[in-house]
Amino acid sequence: MRKTIITAMMLLMGVVAQLQAATQGNENTRGVKYAQMYDERPRAIVVMPPINRTNHVEAKDFFYTTMYVPLCDKGYYVFPPMLTMEMFQAESAYDAEMFIEGNLDPFRNVLGADAAMFTIIKDWKRLNALGTITVNVEFILRSTKTGSTLYQREGTITVDNSVKSSQGGLFGALLNMAATAISTAATDKVEVGRKCASYVLSNMPEGPYSPNYEKDQNVKAGKDVIKETL
Amino acid sequence: MRKSLFGAIVGVMMLSSCGSVQPPLYSWYDAEDASYRYTKRLTEQEKAEAMAQYKKVIEKQKGSRATVPPGACAEYGYMLVKAGKKEEGLALLKKEMELYPESKTFISRIVNQLEK
Repeated sequence: MRKTIITAMMLLMGVVAQLQAATQGNENTRGVKYAQMYDERPRAIVVMPPINRTNHVEAKDFFYTTMYVPLCDKGYYVFPPMLTMEMFQAESAYDAEMFIEGNLDPFRNVLGADAAMFTIIKDWKRLNALGTITVNVEFILRSTKTGSTLYQREGTITVDNSVKSSQGGLFGALLNMAATAISTAATDKVEVGRKCASYVLSNMPEGPYSPNYEKDQNVKAGKDVIKETL
Repeated sequence: MRKSLFGAIVGVMMLSSCGSVQPPLYSWYDAEDASYRYTKRLTEQEKAEAMAQYKKVIEKQKGSRATVPPGACAEYGYMLVKAGKKEEGLALLKKEMELYPESKTFISRIVNQLEK
């Protein structure tokens, strides 16, 4: 009896492992997809001011602030956001549009950055009554040494910010709507940026301060363009 | 029998899906939101709050690396310098370079300017 269970478990483990290997394929691992990243091994990343292609003026600031934590959590050195922001403004470089295809030498020479993370905000939609925000953002990491793109991913992420109160009935529903409108209007937008950044960047190779640095080449890389509700 | 087999299946599924979960490298408290609010409003109150959060990140680190995250010493140190606590702030900016040699090019330039 016990033997049958153990055999069944072993069999199952084998099947699961095979399934995982099959779904991963060869070309869709981090090691293959982001080969240049493993070649160049960038350690220090500068977050560039986001390029905003929407009418929502503030989106640029939300995304600038929210890139720092997810990249640190990935194990990279990320240049301090307030200090770099001050430098960008002093050098009149708060518009990253002129760098996205340009020469990145200044960022290597002045900051010591190995790579620059660009973000292009393509869409920002807010539905107040429903408490949802949908953003479409593309992340592009470029090497300051070679100028080539080391990592690129685009996500359309919907974040449900609705506040649920315990009160039922019509009164409860009205209260919920009011609370939701307030919450989507306030700092929750930073939360949306953060969720979006950490979700889309989750498949990025780990950085030098992560325990999985250089050990994650066989991890599945996922799609280049994703759509998700969080 | 059927029950234990089901248990085994669930167990295997859980084991195989949990492989990639790792504890966070750093604890951030409310530093990110607080510094965003400060850069937006630049009031004394927001500044005090942002500084308090960074202080916590530096002094009460509970992340798996058990060390201060990138940038925290530099941001807090620079805010201290601007608030008039020059020596304390410069010491923290130097600490950033010590913890993260990658920051040297940038931070040493700032330190040089502030020490002039």
